[in-house]
Amino acid sequence: MSRVRPGPWLAALPMSLLALATLYPLLFTANVAMKTRRDYVLDRFALVDTLRGQNLETAWTSVGMGRYFVNSLIVVTSSVLLLLLLGSMAGFALSRLRFRGSSLLYLTFLAGLFVPFQVIMVPLARIMADAALIDTYPGLVLVYVAQFLPFTVFLLTSYYRTIPQEVIDAARIDGNSVYGVYRRIMLPLGRPALLSVGILNALFCWNDVLMSLVMMPSADHRTLMVGVTSLRGQYSDDIPTFASGVLIAALPVLVVYLFLQRQIADGVAAGSTKG
Amino acid sequence: MPLRNAHPSVRAGGAGRTDEALPPPAERRSPRPVRGSRTERLAPYVLIAPTALIILALRLYPLLLGVNFSFTGDGERNGTAVGVDNYRELFGDPLFRTALGNVGLLVLLLPVAVAIPGLLATFIYLRVPGHRLYRSVYFFPAVLSPVIVGAIFNLLLAFDGPLNAALSRAGVSPVDWLGDPDVAMFAVVGVHVWATFGMALVVFLAGFATLDSALLDAARVDGASLLRVIWHVIIPRLTRTIQFVFVTTMIGMLTSMFGLLYVMTSGGPEGSTYLPEYYIWIQQGQMNRPALASAASTVLFVIMLVVGLLQITLLQRAGRDD
Repeated sequence: MSRVRPGPWLAALPMSLLALATLYPLLFTANVAMKTRRDYVLDRFALVDTLRGQNLETAWTSVGMGRYFVNSLIVVTSSVLLLLLLGSMAGFALSRLRFRGSSLLYLTFLAGLFVPFQVIMVPLARIMADAALIDTYPGLVLVYVAQFLPFTVFLLTSYYRTIPQEVIDAARIDGNSVYGVYRRIMLPLGRPALLSVGILNALFCWNDVLMSLVMMPSADHRTLMVGVTSLRGQYSDDIPTFASGVLIAALPVLVVYLFLQRQIADGVAAGSTKG
Repeated sequence: MPLRNAHPSVRAGGAGRTDEALPPPAERRSPRPVRGSRTERLAPYVLIAPTALIILALRLYPLLLGVNFSFTGDGERNGTAVGVDNYRELFGDPLFRTALGNVGLLVLLLPVAVAIPGLLATFIYLRVPGHRLYRSVYFFPAVLSPVIVGAIFNLLLAFDGPLNAALSRAGVSPVDWLGDPDVAMFAVVGVHVWATFGMALVVFLAGFATLDSALLDAARVDGASLLRVIWHVIIPRLTRTIQFVFVTTMIGMLTSMFGLLYVMTSGGPEGSTYLPEYYIWIQQGQMNRPALASAASTVLFVIMLVVGLLQITLLQRAGRDD
């Protein structure tokens, strides 16, 4: 046989070790989260034999992770819905309508892709403060939308380009206005792309810490990830509760990953081949 | 709305001058400015206006504003023009110089951060036993927030944590991963690579999907070794993908390590794990020096611009090769 064959087999061992190294940190954390403080001090590695929800409950209620969780849910849901609405409108216009200035706008949006938040953090915080939007949900939503809109518009524009012009022409002949085409053709046909981009955006917003830290200074409005960072100082001597807080923040993402892995990977891949 | 559009015959007649066979109502084919009612003509602008407004007002305008800020003073000199004072202070600040030095370190480590997912993707593409499983396992840390990853590794890399315990069992003396100024930055970068290589892996696999498998089969039949296959078949065919991964990995290192730094080291020990983004945040949020922070932002933007332009040049060169 050819000599390419043994390579993959030899690679299988380091690759499974790496897979183990990928999973171990989270498993370790989950195990610690189930321990009592005393068990942890005595032996942090021993596997727990019962699933204790005590620490998770403490983290959820008295640490305030529950409150932060709800904050995150509100902000992320609004951001993603707004992103999909605005992104699909702009994507439809850029891909399937001809109008003066469309390529200039396209380039402008492209430029928006290359402006990371860190670079505009200071002036953006000032603009938001002037508009009395700092420390408010709409303010953070607006910042998230501005951050991820260029990427959203690009993916949706390139997806809409794959919808045949004939479909749109036919809808026009049937008497649809431009808005009718958007609502009756583009939105339904764009569903796979909207799902993929929506999940990615949800992950980005859910996982963000810097924007939330800058835009939501008060403890009441903390999002979940900022909540996780505050755990460290408060619970440095209560590691099981700390680990429980981390687990609460990670669980929704893990669930989403288990069920929607395909869409997430497809979204990333689409971003790479079309970018 | 559909009612307004109930005269397609009129419009088709108008367009018929250029194209007689088909009666297209679509503006796309018409070389002339769009016909139709006012609402219809304005529709594209209505659809795109919110996006344009948001990107202009909250992305591009702040960029200009920030560059402008960077030439004004902080505190008592708030708002007055101070020339390049902020930049002078910036480059005189040992913390910022450490941050720039660390950017250099990231550039040096970049090939490793690209090679690891590239090699793994190759094996997965060549269908190592269990390749489907590896793909989903490796990608999974990429969906976790840097904050969560950082918090988890705080536990694992603690002086009395699991990693040192494993090392001591192997007879290696424990390392103060996050407390030793010579080690901490490597530890943080290592964690960043652990958390993000799955992303690059998926991008590589998307690139592999465009490869002509007949080429690989031919190489196999010829009895080429794996290294030769990688060097002569895979790398030349995937230049675009490889460049894309290089650039996105670099940008990721420059703009998405804040969460890790914030949770794992807070820039310490002895300021050894500063990166520009962390410096910006400290100056803006903790030191109340927005103008100085803006100067640091501008420097970071220039660094990213260089990376971006490099990408475009490389891509164009690759385009010519095609």
